[in-house]
Amino acid sequence: MKDSLEKFVQNNREEFDVFEPRPELWQHICQELPQTSPEKEAKVIKFNFGERASFSADFFFMRVAAAIVLLLGCGLTIFLMKQQTPDTANTLASNQSINAPAADVNAIAPELPEIEAYYASQIKAKKSELSAYDLKVLGLDEHQLIDNELIRLDSSYVSLKNQLYTSPNTNEIVGALIQNLQIRIRVLNRQLEVLQKLEPNKQQPIQEPQNDDTTNV
Amino acid sequence: MEKLGYQDVNQQVVQRCKGGDHRAQYELYKLYSKAMFNVSMRITNDYAEAEDVLQEAFLSAFRNMHHYKGEASFGSWLKKIVINAAINAVRKRRAELVPMDERSVAEVPDEVTEDDSEWQVEQVRRAIQKLPDGYRVVLSLYLLEGYDHAEIGEVLGISESTSKSQYSRARKKLLEIMKEPQFVA
Repeated sequence: MKDSLEKFVQNNREEFDVFEPRPELWQHICQELPQTSPEKEAKVIKFNFGERASFSADFFFMRVAAAIVLLLGCGLTIFLMKQQTPDTANTLASNQSINAPAADVNAIAPELPEIEAYYASQIKAKKSELSAYDLKVLGLDEHQLIDNELIRLDSSYVSLKNQLYTSPNTNEIVGALIQNLQIRIRVLNRQLEVLQKLEPNKQQPIQEPQNDDTTNV
Repeated sequence: MEKLGYQDVNQQVVQRCKGGDHRAQYELYKLYSKAMFNVSMRITNDYAEAEDVLQEAFLSAFRNMHHYKGEASFGSWLKKIVINAAINAVRKRRAELVPMDERSVAEVPDEVTEDDSEWQVEQVRRAIQKLPDGYRVVLSLYLLEGYDHAEIGEVLGISESTSKSQYSRARKKLLEIMKEPQFVA
């Protein structure tokens, strides 16, 4: 049974809490609280070089130091190697994208890195073959056209590769990527053929129409 | 009567407190300090003492966090600590907490009219503060902290029936105080 006083208090319960403790009371409480529990403290490795007794700590320290030196060395080596690659494979921007997100590619299309490596080596070989000719036919316009074509293929390759991470149809995209690489090789092959035909009679570089065909592939 | 919503919100904070996280402790303090201070204030009826009790209660709660198993809401667990600390403080102040003075009952006229339409929260609150310690504690625990007479008996170390009779006397006395000239606004 609830009488009028009970009802009145219940209906106005919030209004009965009129007092507030001083704001600084928390500071007093905080001072008396135990500091953060010991198991939560950061582990401190003490090195005592003066005593031979602390060998274990020294060994641990050496191991950590060795690991850091090794990691730094590896990092530097990889960095220097990457610095050198752009010189040899000048137009293959995809070469960089081949290496960078390798971990992700392995999850999505595990066969792709191998395929890329294969075609990259093929393309590189063809290019070095071509560069031998390039000097001799430096004046030809179609060389520029082929470079542009390769750059176009390269940028579409990059965008395809980006789609690979977002699109569910990985098989289709991998197919398109491979096709892209094959077209590059075909372009380079055609160019090589042209140049090989050209070589015997390099005195008369009048094969313009054929060169156009190759660039349209 | 408890603020039930608190329980779920606090579950994580309470866990972090158990690990000694000061930020989590401050969160709980922010959440409960005002309500708990008012509980303490009603029982002790003294600002400085109420603060001492609040400090003592929070420290004790944080130190004994591992005893809180979550069977009740954290708020009511904490409230119990505050109430016990406050009652101890009053006991220290006065050897005898509940005045068993029969005269005070006899003095109270039975025909106190309850025209609750004229009651003001401030008026009732100040009248409670004017009650003697024993009455004030029982009445506050029953009316404002939502304790039943069995629980009041437990925390005060008195029987349930004593709590009941103390409450009805306290209630009469309260209404009497509210009839006093300075309370009739």
